[in-house]
Amino acid sequence: MSDRSELIAVGKPFSFDAERDAEFERLITRYPIRESMIMPALWLVQEQDGWICAEAISYIAERIGTYPAKVFELATFYTMYHLKPVGRHHICVCRTLSCYLRDKQEIVDYLAEEIGIRPGQVSEDGKFSLEEVECLGHCGTAPVVQLDGEFHEAMDAKKLKALLATLD
Amino acid sequence: MAEMVKLFVNGQEVAVEQGKNLIDALKVVGIEIPHFCYHPALGADGNCRMCLVGIEDGRPPLVPACKTPAMEGMKVLLDAEHIKKIQHDVLELELINHPIDCPVCDQAGECTLQDYYMTYSLDDSRRGVEPVKKGKRMDLGCGVVHDQERCVLCARCVRFTRQITRTGELGIVNRSDEARVAIFPGKPLDNRYALNIVDICPVGAMTSSDFRFRQRVWFLKKDEGICHGCSKGCNIYIDHHREKYKDDMIYRFRARTNLQVNGYFICDEGRLSYHRENENRQSQTRVDGGVVGFEEGIKAFRSRLDTARKPLMLLSADCTLEQMWAVKRIANLYGAGLSGYSDASVLPGDGDDYLIQDDKAANRKGLELLGIDSSKESFMAALQDADLLVNFNNDLFFSNINDELRPLLDSKECIAVCSHARKLFEKAAIIIPTASYSEYGGTIVNGDGVLQLFRKAVTKNDDPHDILEITRLLGGAIVDAARAWPGIRQSVAVLSAVQPEQIPAEGLKLQSSEEPHVGS
Ligand code: SF4
Ligand code: SF4
Ligand code: FES
Ligand code: FES
Repeated sequence: MSDRSELIAVGKPFSFDAERDAEFERLITRYPIRESMIMPALWLVQEQDGWICAEAISYIAERIGTYPAKVFELATFYTMYHLKPVGRHHICVCRTLSCYLRDKQEIVDYLAEEIGIRPGQVSEDGKFSLEEVECLGHCGTAPVVQLDGEFHEAMDAKKLKALLATLD
Repeated sequence: MAEMVKLFVNGQEVAVEQGKNLIDALKVVGIEIPHFCYHPALGADGNCRMCLVGIEDGRPPLVPACKTPAMEGMKVLLDAEHIKKIQHDVLELELINHPIDCPVCDQAGECTLQDYYMTYSLDDSRRGVEPVKKGKRMDLGCGVVHDQERCVLCARCVRFTRQITRTGELGIVNRSDEARVAIFPGKPLDNRYALNIVDICPVGAMTSSDFRFRQRVWFLKKDEGICHGCSKGCNIYIDHHREKYKDDMIYRFRARTNLQVNGYFICDEGRLSYHRENENRQSQTRVDGGVVGFEEGIKAFRSRLDTARKPLMLLSADCTLEQMWAVKRIANLYGAGLSGYSDASVLPGDGDDYLIQDDKAANRKGLELLGIDSSKESFMAALQDADLLVNFNNDLFFSNINDELRPLLDSKECIAVCSHARKLFEKAAIIIPTASYSEYGGTIVNGDGVLQLFRKAVTKNDDPHDILEITRLLGGAIVDAARAWPGIRQSVAVLSAVQPEQIPAEGLKLQSSEEPHVGS
């Protein structure tokens, strides 16, 4: 993972739209401890805006009644939360031990060469974004790539090329 | 008294408190288990793994000592090869990305990481790649400066803000080798206890902007003292040093554990109040505006007291019991009135429900116990009548409630025995410099009725006389603190059995049910 703690402030307050507001109220009744709602709330933000800005983190903290620093921790810990706008297709490459040893670097280098993006970047046309993430839990079939949420195991540059070609 | 159990450490039998975690239990008998994240005030977090030990009873080969309670017959292994290996390994992990900048690090000399490296590691680095870069000299607020690269991620600081101050400003963001302590952008530390973080951080990741680069810690003489910032009487270390050709100066106060008084922490204001011990001190003796020698000042003091028709003595609520007693005796000797009026040092509403008290005086209870009248009415009445006011270091203008007294005070001849140069004392006919609390010893009673003993820590080049000594020079019979006690014991029922030298380290809680009874 790279440093995710430089949050982006958009300069205007965040709030849920009516649909997410209702969903928040529905979900929060499930949790005896309100703080358990931090992660579902972050999902709701991401669903609404596609990514999570600094203002949204303050908003969630206030709404749940917890410290912004706590929401900040969770939002930066889990790479599934986007802390900046991502491309139409989001590629995650695992960089933890098994994948590291099974040459995840080949995949990362390929993407740099082919699409011109390094971890943390979005391609100029906005089609792709890339992030290096921690263990995706499929170590037995490393290296692992997660493309738009779906797992692709035992990957290499060639397989990835074929996979990307199927996308519009 | 907690129940004791026998257990074995590396085959050697020791008796320790049952149920205490192994780190604390074995510390009492002088056995160290290295640890970063555990802190008695913050509990066992189990995140650092530095405290792993072996317990030979069929459990897994390594268990965290911080989460293992001492039990009868336990066989604890600290020196087995696999334990030493894990200690090496954990230290190697901590040091992989550490900047190892001890020569310019304030913590050097009192750094857990440095000490453990010397004791448990001494390995060479095997890192062949660039270390991870993180934030340096980050201003986290409240005078706390953070170096993310030196951090071992023990989360003590984070837990402090969540469990103790409940302000939650800090968090650990990111994960893996990118993890680091941070504030949420725009929400810096904002509480009155934040500098404790500097004390509890085991490494040099949290430093105090007040202390940074002022002094290497190994030069500091660390004496025990009691904060005089309010009536809590928090226990502190007074870290002071006399640089070559200079004077003995205090460089910092640090929290000292006293579970009966302040627990493990102190407030920031109290911590920084050491500046007041160093600065703005009254050092000259003055008589009628001119600077004179100390002896001459005392001579003038005596003769004015002798000729005064109706002297009034005013004590500070910061004085020790012994000083109060000595002044009380001297007031008797000279037929002077005596008051402890010091309402100005109470700041209503300033205190909180933790340590900080409204009452900024250290020993108001002492005035009460010794039956010294401290009411405004009697002070005013006595002052109207008096032709000489002898003020023993009582800053009537500490807050502004006494501003209207100024004309009356100005109209009276005043002798000021004072540790600091203050507006109030400027017009005094005679000014006698005196020691402040880091420069004398004695006993004080805090707002909760805990009697505590403290000793002289700082010795100035030109060491000022303490109030008690000044009363002796005025002809008083109390020649030292011990000599005050027979009289105090006789006059104050709750103190009748007190031997000051035997006051336990955590202080003596006085029975509040007993009414102060004062003999003549
Ligand atoms: S800054 Fe210090 S106290 Fe805080 S996590 Fe790092 S090492 Fe621990
Ligand atoms: S709470 Fe009072 S006694 Fe304790 S450190 Fe602060 S000022 Fe000093
Ligand atoms: S190390 Fe890549 S999936 Fe586990
Ligand atoms: S002290 Fe036990 S794990 Fe850190």
